[in-house]
Amino acid sequence: MARRLEAEPLNILLTGVGGQGNVLAARVIAMASVASGYQVAVGETFGASQRGGTVASHVRLALKDRYGPLIPRGEAHVIVGFEPLEACRALLAYGNINTYVLANWRPLPPVSVLQGEEEYPALADLERFLLEHTGGLLVLDATARAQELGSAAATNMVLTGALVASGLLPLDPQALDQVLKELFTDAVLELNRKALAAGMAVWEQSTPQQIWLGCSPNKDSATR
Amino acid sequence: MPPKGPLHLQKEVLQVEQCTGCGLCAGLCPYFNVVDERVALTSTCGLSEGLCYEVCPRTPTDWELIDRTVFGAPRQDHVLGHWQGLYYARAGEAAPAIEGKQYGGTVTALVAFALTQGLAHGALLTSGLPGDFPVPVLARTMDEVLAAAGSKYSATPTLQALVGAMRDGLGSMVVVGRPCQVLAVRKLQSVKRRTPVTNLTAGTKLFLLGLFCFWALSSAFYERFLPSKLNPLEVTRLDLPPYELVVSTPKGELRLPVDELRPLIRPACEVCFDPTAEFADLTVGSTEDDPRWNTLLARSALGSELLEAATAAGWLEVRPYPADRVHLLREAVARKKRRVVTGPAGPPPYLFLQEAYHRGVVAAEEESGCS
Amino acid sequence: MQLNMDRPGVTIFLQGNAALARGALEAGVDYATSYPGSPTVEILELLAQVARQCGFYAEWSVNEKVAVEGAAAASLAGLRALAITKADGLNVALDFLTCLGLTGVRGGLVLVVGDDPSGHSSVKEEDTRFLARVAHLPVLEPTTPQEAKEMVGVAFRLSEHLAQPVVLRTVTRICHAGGNVTLGPLPQERRRPSLGTEDRFICVPRQHLQQEQKLREAAKLAEAWNLVSYEGPAKAETLIVASGPGLLYAREAVKRLQRQDQVGLVGLKMVWPLPETVLQRYLQVARRVLVVEEIEPFIEEQIAALIGRNAGEWPLLRLYGRKDNTIAGSFGGGCGELTPDLVRAALTTILGLSAPEETGFRTEFRPPERELAFCAGCPHRASFWALQSAIALDGRRAVVLGDIGCYTLGRGRSGYRVLHTVHAMGSGLGLASGFGKLKEWNWERPTVAVLGDSTFYHAALPALINALYNRSDLLLVIFDNETTAMTGHQPHPGREVDARGEPAKPVSLEQILHGLGVPLKIQDPYDVRSSMRAIYRALKEEDVRALILRGPCALLRDRKLAQLRTYVDQMRCLGEGCGCNVFCSRVWACPANRWDGLRGKAYIDETLCTGCGACAQLCPAGAIRTEGGEAPWREG
Ligand SMILES: Cc1cc2nc3c(=O)[nH]c(=O)nc-3n(C[C@H](O)[C@H](O)[C@H](O)COP(=O)(O)OP(=O)(O)OC[C@H]3O[C@@H](n4cnc5c(N)ncnc54)[C@H](O)[C@@H]3O)c2cc1C
Ligand code: SF4
Ligand code: SF4
Repeated sequence: MARRLEAEPLNILLTGVGGQGNVLAARVIAMASVASGYQVAVGETFGASQRGGTVASHVRLALKDRYGPLIPRGEAHVIVGFEPLEACRALLAYGNINTYVLANWRPLPPVSVLQGEEEYPALADLERFLLEHTGGLLVLDATARAQELGSAAATNMVLTGALVASGLLPLDPQALDQVLKELFTDAVLELNRKALAAGMAVWEQSTPQQIWLGCSPNKDSATR
Repeated sequence: MPPKGPLHLQKEVLQVEQCTGCGLCAGLCPYFNVVDERVALTSTCGLSEGLCYEVCPRTPTDWELIDRTVFGAPRQDHVLGHWQGLYYARAGEAAPAIEGKQYGGTVTALVAFALTQGLAHGALLTSGLPGDFPVPVLARTMDEVLAAAGSKYSATPTLQALVGAMRDGLGSMVVVGRPCQVLAVRKLQSVKRRTPVTNLTAGTKLFLLGLFCFWALSSAFYERFLPSKLNPLEVTRLDLPPYELVVSTPKGELRLPVDELRPLIRPACEVCFDPTAEFADLTVGSTEDDPRWNTLLARSALGSELLEAATAAGWLEVRPYPADRVHLLREAVARKKRRVVTGPAGPPPYLFLQEAYHRGVVAAEEESGCS
Repeated sequence: MQLNMDRPGVTIFLQGNAALARGALEAGVDYATSYPGSPTVEILELLAQVARQCGFYAEWSVNEKVAVEGAAAASLAGLRALAITKADGLNVALDFLTCLGLTGVRGGLVLVVGDDPSGHSSVKEEDTRFLARVAHLPVLEPTTPQEAKEMVGVAFRLSEHLAQPVVLRTVTRICHAGGNVTLGPLPQERRRPSLGTEDRFICVPRQHLQQEQKLREAAKLAEAWNLVSYEGPAKAETLIVASGPGLLYAREAVKRLQRQDQVGLVGLKMVWPLPETVLQRYLQVARRVLVVEEIEPFIEEQIAALIGRNAGEWPLLRLYGRKDNTIAGSFGGGCGELTPDLVRAALTTILGLSAPEETGFRTEFRPPERELAFCAGCPHRASFWALQSAIALDGRRAVVLGDIGCYTLGRGRSGYRVLHTVHAMGSGLGLASGFGKLKEWNWERPTVAVLGDSTFYHAALPALINALYNRSDLLLVIFDNETTAMTGHQPHPGREVDARGEPAKPVSLEQILHGLGVPLKIQDPYDVRSSMRAIYRALKEEDVRALILRGPCALLRDRKLAQLRTYVDQMRCLGEGCGCNVFCSRVWACPANRWDGLRGKAYIDETLCTGCGACAQLCPAGAIRTEGGEAPWREG
């Protein structure tokens, strides 16, 4: 059930590239939040979905009031980046020095980079940038975890799992599980449940240092 | 000269219709493409220098240098180039029957022989229906070789398949080509730099069988000319005996004066300095006398060896070139070469002749007495 | 979760479009039509899923004009009908609608129209309210998904009360937003169609008078029906008039600036006709008024006129909004979508407060922009590659007229910037019909129209017939991916199923073209070189001719193909060397073709690769290999 919120409204931004499933993750979170008694506003911002552009879902939780579907600039409390560059882009626009960032460390270069017109920044630089400009950072290779479980498509649930385990999202895991049961059946349900659990495990197994100081995906995979 | 690349090739060759349609550049690189014998740079690779420019037969070429790399010495004969033997030839008794052969079937017999003897593992040939755009093939079987017999009188970019064939690990190959194609392959072989492509070239043994070629037709021949005369799919054979185009169909023969074809000649061919594939191992042409025979020039040691082996095995039959016809051949060739060198616009930009070569060509024609 | 669950009073999370669909169910819709267009596309999709079960009719129509006509028919027969379009779609229906506005309707007819401020998934940001005004139709605007749901019912009642169609204008931030929605009861009874012997609906000019009377009546109802809200002090000198999500942004701004006791907030749910009597009350006492609305200063201009009509009677008051750039809009200059920040900034300005501290980071770092791109394995990439290569081979600089669909991306990197024009549905072919006549000026550039299968059915036929009849020279290339991919794969008249998933009678592209006598070739776009040849040859021909490049959308293709593992043979890859220079990722640029800068070799991102094999055909080094057999494009 609804807990006191650290901030009213609590602003969570999920961001990534078309096709990564962040809109679905946002819906799962929103459904669980409504079921837990919050007032929720979600804004899905994308151009043509699936067409490789930036896709972001703004999720805003409140106890009473209804808020608009967009987070004001600089006011995101949590950013879940499905892709490193998008995590940084979102932080620049919607984050502040206290924002927490969870980032899937799997670069997907934009066409301009593929075509050699621009460069994808070095991952180490991106990581340093995030460390210097956030209140807390966890980077993980959620896609690899999802692939281990059978499909990269479950990346979104791994990240959602890490988010809920972090306590940044004021929901009980059971509320999410309930939503998964409403949305999926059979193998897909199993995959998503496992992914959720895997994401929670990543958070739980990360030391506070790793979370506060960031841990490179190599270190992350080395612990496996 | 600063190194040059695709954009120069575009400007100096393709845009000014100097492309011979050899096809080599399109096989080297994904930015060149070919459809229906039209070669074009369809997008840019972004590099300022490239093999494409180096190997194109229509970028500046030092004739003497190629002679030296292929034959080890400058030429003595400024009409026919290096040669070791001049013959009449045709497919021998041991060779399989060659239904579509143009004349004596010399080329097909030689190719078939090389393949059956394991001297070569594949042959780059020009196949297809006589009335439609020819199709390059990498022949590995006797059937494929036989099916490719017969001349296609247009500039089929066969060499498009060369690099891919070498890459597929054919350690030795026969390439049958027009003179421009033979030159292109020689230019590729003379590149000293080690690149993935030149490494392949260095590792592949090539028998270069050249064809006589005084000109080739542009794609308009298939696109417009033939369809305006008859149903191209019915054509069974094309021939170009002197002064005529003969189109055979099951219904009979259509004979057209060669002048009707003149407007269809590829502009690049007008300035071709090499009607006899001077850099080939063996060159084959018509006799302009007896359609059952071919003219055959053995040029390199490799060519002579192949010729001897094929003859010994009865796949090829040769006889001496009739003494009274030699001057006819020399005159025709000399006339064409001189026309190119001394034309009103001067020698074409691709042709780089050392002083001795230039003098040789001019002198050769004067000596043969027809100016 | 079923949209038609019968649990009144329960609160669940619904996307705005789902809320609109639920609203239609609760209002007892009988007949629903639409042509897919973002941002409203999911509404009919959801309705169609439950249509059979709930006993109403739902269809994907061939275009918006026919959609509105179909819905109007149901309404004339006394049924409740819903037509759903995006803003651009209403243009297509407008000719009919301006007539329907004269004759009026019988059963409730509601047009749900999705505007797309900033054009996130549109080629323009068009404001539907102006069109509704031309047709003399009342316009309602919801603020939240909950309100959107309720408003469908209100719109039906209003439509029936006035015997006039009603427009429910939504925007992307309603359709693609989501929130708590409390469900209402579902109707038990269903209506039956009827048409009285005396009923006539014949459009004549003098009905204009009745239209105006209906609008006056609508304005009067606004107060009784609670279509204007107010919050704030009894007398506010600073007033915000807002509609749609703008109301939420305004409320948040007032709260953040802690001016709840100073600023009055009027929420307009009926924006046309303007509910003048209610508004007047607040305007009379205000000194400054800020209008917050999406896209154009529609309400703003009406209020300006209202103030003008009351000049001398009211105290002086100043109007702020988009016109004077107080609401800057995300494009600047008063254009582009609203954001909470823009609204807060506007309120800060008119209250004369100092601007809030810059919250942004001080950093030089700018992430590279992420342009939209065709998906990995998309047949359109292969088609555009073949098209641009064929045009280069042809050498006559063909003019390529684009259209609306995924392939609109042909204007950008992902489609090699092949397209010269992009306008409206089917307009590429109309333009081509014109370009193809320029030969009379000895213009030698060939004309190519590129359009998709769904667009062909929607709007291509008149232009095609025009080109044929007038002997224009053009090559029509249909990028046929066998679906309406852009909006999420809705079936179209070429398919065997309809919106409800029931058997349909497919209308074949080929048969239409054959019937019109258009020479036609069909080609598999994944066979890139054959496509190149087919286009090259077709370019050389004259008159109207067509080429169908038919390959299923990569997102729908049998996933089996993806199991053909495609990889780069690292020994063969030429990388940055001559003869390649990173062709696959740099030029071809499928998102699955990746470049390892450290090793100087290409590789394939197997999580994205669909196994289409197109890059393998084009790699100059033959380095891209497909494991487990031939590249699939060679099969059959
Ligand atoms: C465009 C062209 C112009 C020619 N002009 C003359 C001329 O002016 N005078 C003259 O004496 N001879 C000319 N020839 C050569 C002649 O037509 C015969 O090809 C030659 O005499 C060999 O005859 P054959 O009986 O041995 O051929 P075949 O045994 O029938 O074999 C012919 C071989 O040539 C190959 N071939 C066919 N067409 C082409 C092509 N377009 N490009 C490359 N390879 C091809 C085939 O693959 C086949 O292997 C020309 C040939 C071509 C292709
Ligand atoms: S002559 Fe050969 S190498 Fe030169 S441009 Fe033409 S096809 Fe390419
Ligand atoms: S196109 Fe082929 S050779 Fe070139 S980078 Fe890609 S895989 Fe390597």
